[in-house]
Amino acid sequence: MSSVAVGIVSGVLMGVVFGFALEKSRVFEPGMIVGQMQLRNWIMLKIFLSAVATGAVVLAVLNGFGMTKLQPKAALYAADIVGGLILGSGIALAGACPGTTLAQIGAGYRDAIFTLLGGLAGAVAFSYAQPWLAASLIGTGPKLIFTDLAGIPYWQGALALAVAIVGMLVLMERLRPWREDLGADVDGNRAEQMAQPGRRLAPAE
Amino acid sequence: MSPFDKAWSPYAAGILIGLLQIPAFLIIETALGASSSYVTVGAGIASLVDPSLLNIDYVARHVAANAKNLWQVALVAGIGLGALVSMKMSGAVRAPVSPIWSRALGSSSSGLRYAVAFVAGFLMLFGARIADGCTSGHGLSGMAQLSVGSTVAVAAMFAGGIATALLLLRRI
Repeated sequence: MSSVAVGIVSGVLMGVVFGFALEKSRVFEPGMIVGQMQLRNWIMLKIFLSAVATGAVVLAVLNGFGMTKLQPKAALYAADIVGGLILGSGIALAGACPGTTLAQIGAGYRDAIFTLLGGLAGAVAFSYAQPWLAASLIGTGPKLIFTDLAGIPYWQGALALAVAIVGMLVLMERLRPWREDLGADVDGNRAEQMAQPGRRLAPAE
Repeated sequence: MSPFDKAWSPYAAGILIGLLQIPAFLIIETALGASSSYVTVGAGIASLVDPSLLNIDYVARHVAANAKNLWQVALVAGIGLGALVSMKMSGAVRAPVSPIWSRALGSSSSGLRYAVAFVAGFLMLFGARIADGCTSGHGLSGMAQLSVGSTVAVAAMFAGGIATALLLLRRI
């Protein structure tokens, strides 16, 4: 098989696993994303941190034993801050991120088709503006990682991060069990749940 | 944790997603990411109408039919397929628009929701391309690699998201 065919086949297979996990975790639900950004639902952060910790352990092993090189992005602070703020604002209004938009379409949310079209338009607009933005805002920078700054091997820092995240998750789960954030229809919509205590107070027939 | 369940623990799902870094690094020699595929597809289509777009080096690099670019397009398409399969297996049924939007937007008009979704998608990708990554590339992959720039980008992402959700959207 050519490398392009390997890329496409492995991409589809990995994407199916990714999409399956996103759907089962419910993080693709707008209710979960908006709820997280309104600081009343913590499922998104729990999934995100679990995936980061797992990735850190995986890469500590692969990189520590010399099986793979790291691929960090360059540190471009102005672009990271400006771009990150705009991206975050879009995530809140979309109730999705660029990857989970496709999971929403797969699950049958019709508004996600408009998110996708807007995303493609945004990517095209950026493409036209890229030469100007690269010179004025984005610039260039070093591929900086924290363990290089600290002067220790990557695998040590990656394992330390994973341990710190596990500690945070244990605490978060103790304060707020994940099942409480699911909602009656597992979509992060807790309106009915919150209305229930009122219903229970209604006089019995 | 059966494939027929409607919901898995966020920890199980997160671990499964994190494990996808193994094939990404070993087969494609790259980290998980999603947003550059929008350039590959969007600019690929736009360049059919305006071939001069290909004179921009950034565009030419992203629309080149190489393994890395097409891998990410296939990954993102696979996400849609995987979510569809998961949904069918659990028997979950979704309305065309999530019920949270009528509260978040203060209107049950689906036209308004579609317009907001389009603008949101535009902001998401315009921002992600300025920052050179999204929740996957900067978030999952950059943080796991202890990247300094990605950590700044993720902090900005949450700051922008939290400010927008608290100030522009109503309480869901």
